[in-house]
Amino acid sequence: MIRYAKSALAAAAACLVLAACTSPADMEPPEVDVPTPLPEGVDFDPEASPAAPDTSCDPLASYSPGSVTAEQARATLDDPDQISIGISQSTNLMGYRDPETNELAGFDIDIATAMVQAVMGDATKVRWVPMTSAEREQALADDRVDMVVRTMSITCERWENVEFSTEYYHAGQRLLVTKDSGIADLAEMTADQQVCTGASSTSVGNIAAVNAEVQPVTVPDFNDCLVLLQQGTVDAVAIDDTILAGMAVQDPTLQVVGETFSVESYGIAFEKDNTDLARFVNGALAAMIADGRWQSSYDKWLAGPLASDAAALTTKYRD
Amino acid sequence: MAVQSPPAPTQAPPAGGRTAQPAPGAPPGRRLDRVAAALRQTPGQLRGVLAVLAALILGAGITGMTSILAKSAVIEETTSQSGRLSVAALQLYQALSQADATAASSYLTAGTPSEDMNEQYRTALRDATVALATAAGEVKTAADIELVAELNARLPVYTGLVESARTFNRLGEPVGATYQEQASTLMREQMLPSAHTLQENALAQLTESRDDAGAFPYAAAVLVLAALGTLLWAQMWLSRKTKRTFNLGLVGATALLVVFAGWLAMASVVSASHTGRSHEDGSRPLELLAQAEIAAQQARAEESLLLIARGEDQDAADRYTEHMNELASDGGLLDQLDEAFSGDAALSDQIDAARDAATAWSNGHGEVVKLAQEGNYTGAVALAVGEDEASLQTSFNALNEALTSATQTSADRFAEATADAQRALSGAAAGLAALSLAALISAAVGIQMRVAEYYA
Repeated sequence: MIRYAKSALAAAAACLVLAACTSPADMEPPEVDVPTPLPEGVDFDPEASPAAPDTSCDPLASYSPGSVTAEQARATLDDPDQISIGISQSTNLMGYRDPETNELAGFDIDIATAMVQAVMGDATKVRWVPMTSAEREQALADDRVDMVVRTMSITCERWENVEFSTEYYHAGQRLLVTKDSGIADLAEMTADQQVCTGASSTSVGNIAAVNAEVQPVTVPDFNDCLVLLQQGTVDAVAIDDTILAGMAVQDPTLQVVGETFSVESYGIAFEKDNTDLARFVNGALAAMIADGRWQSSYDKWLAGPLASDAAALTTKYRD
Repeated sequence: MAVQSPPAPTQAPPAGGRTAQPAPGAPPGRRLDRVAAALRQTPGQLRGVLAVLAALILGAGITGMTSILAKSAVIEETTSQSGRLSVAALQLYQALSQADATAASSYLTAGTPSEDMNEQYRTALRDATVALATAAGEVKTAADIELVAELNARLPVYTGLVESARTFNRLGEPVGATYQEQASTLMREQMLPSAHTLQENALAQLTESRDDAGAFPYAAAVLVLAALGTLLWAQMWLSRKTKRTFNLGLVGATALLVVFAGWLAMASVVSASHTGRSHEDGSRPLELLAQAEIAAQQARAEESLLLIARGEDQDAADRYTEHMNELASDGGLLDQLDEAFSGDAALSDQIDAARDAATAWSNGHGEVVKLAQEGNYTGAVALAVGEDEASLQTSFNALNEALTSATQTSADRFAEATADAQRALSGAAAGLAALSLAALISAAVGIQMRVAEYYA
């Protein structure tokens, strides 16, 4: 009996030890996707709505300069000693912080500075207000800024909420590709190629209108397009040439190619009904274009990376 | 009791009593009959009593020993600071958050991060990889293995993006900012959630084993009581049958079992109070502290991303607010920690210091956003990541130091309490096994002596 008991105890102890030692070591190795870094909100199957031509108004017709004086223009400002201007500080070559000096620079900033000089008589009497493109109309309505110079396209829809100057830059979508890709034009891209653009449905529609086969990819922040192109996830980037220029200068292996296949007319925006300031700025813009300051700014920022002459500006007044 | 008279001859077994044992090949029905027949006779009854006693004592011994071993293992698992999945997963989560916060803030220093920041980033990456390797050795489920594999696959992609961001930043190309944002997106959207899930799985496994071990060893208790009852009954029965008051073997077995029951009860109570207390006073506050550190690191990363995007990233601003609220709002992590440490002056002071730093940081953040919105970007960056006394870097570091030292103090207290509990349990398992074996032998000897008298 005692021997039985002993062996039973030994067996029980052995079971315990065995149970504790057994672990599921013989599992299949896990399957893991190849990690591809993708920006937040990337859409590989965006909706393309063909851009219907905007015929509800004549968007480019602004107010004629007339006889509005700088004094009258200053009277419309929230602070008569300082004009506040909404700009971007993150759009390379248009409105950005020079990484070496940390100062604002770019084509938009040149235009805005010329307007400050004209309105205030002193280019330093300005308060720069960085903002996102979604904030632009509200910032004007809320009196946060007196004007916005931030790659803002003139459209009939926006005319409902703000006043616009005449066109100060005639932009349009073009193509950014790697130099060795052999792609020369959007039209020749094939169905197994991907082209990246911003998340507005019109830019996808513009692409589809030229080439219905190529696969569009959208990202909320178009800067992600450049990274996706550098990482080889997409074959081309199709956004406004002003933006493409800012990307092309950052990478010597990239170039802007093809013809412009959409029209974006940039204008300076003002608070609704502030036509006095709009008129005065239109006069200052016309002067800037006439005396060559506009051209020298274009040459400084955009002529090199775009490798083309500036598209002609339309200066048109409604009265 | 040295001289014992033989039992009444009428109760003597038939000659060749051993033949009552079933023949090896006997059919089961026949064998049962024979066992029943044997049990009607005293030596058979004695053997039957011994079999029951042996089963009960053995059962009590084994269940008692295993329950103590399990308790001891759980205490080891809940406290050991290294080599455990829950600890490794938490360290991984912390280290990844810290790496991201440091990478994002060092990006703001325009390509020339301070030696401190570089060191912090490298240390965080080292901690993350070590924790990942430890976790890889500890995972037990297919889901956890997959999480570890995913994290392993993504970490080099993350560091690659960070280095690209730094290089472009050094060259003065704004696309660096996009690389840094993509790195943070990868961290925030994929890696931190994986690390968090791994940590939650580990904690769930730990809670399960803690509940198992915290339970009173009812099985062992019932068995030991049954064994004691049977022993007492057997002694009364024997003394009636043999006219002798005591059977030395059975008395010895009773005494041994009483000691066994006492030791088992004491060890169970000590370990139950420890597992309960260690959760309330030890591991729960440590978890809260880790969560607070993680929330602070994530808020810091979002603050930097907001500035990297030149103030043009509303999502980052929202995420900053969310993490800051998690940390410092009413009923937030700092409040919960205050409550958990209310009875401990040293720890309360450290949490107060953390709260002061968080308040200073939060106020300074408003100032940074204001500067950025007014267009004073250089001023905003200097205030956010500068090295002077008033910069947010200073408050953030102070917050981190306060949380780290609170973690250290809390972990020390926890380790002391655990050492006490482990001392109480040490030897209990072996002692209980030895006691039950001795009780078994003692009972067997006592009964065997009675049985032997029939064949004398």
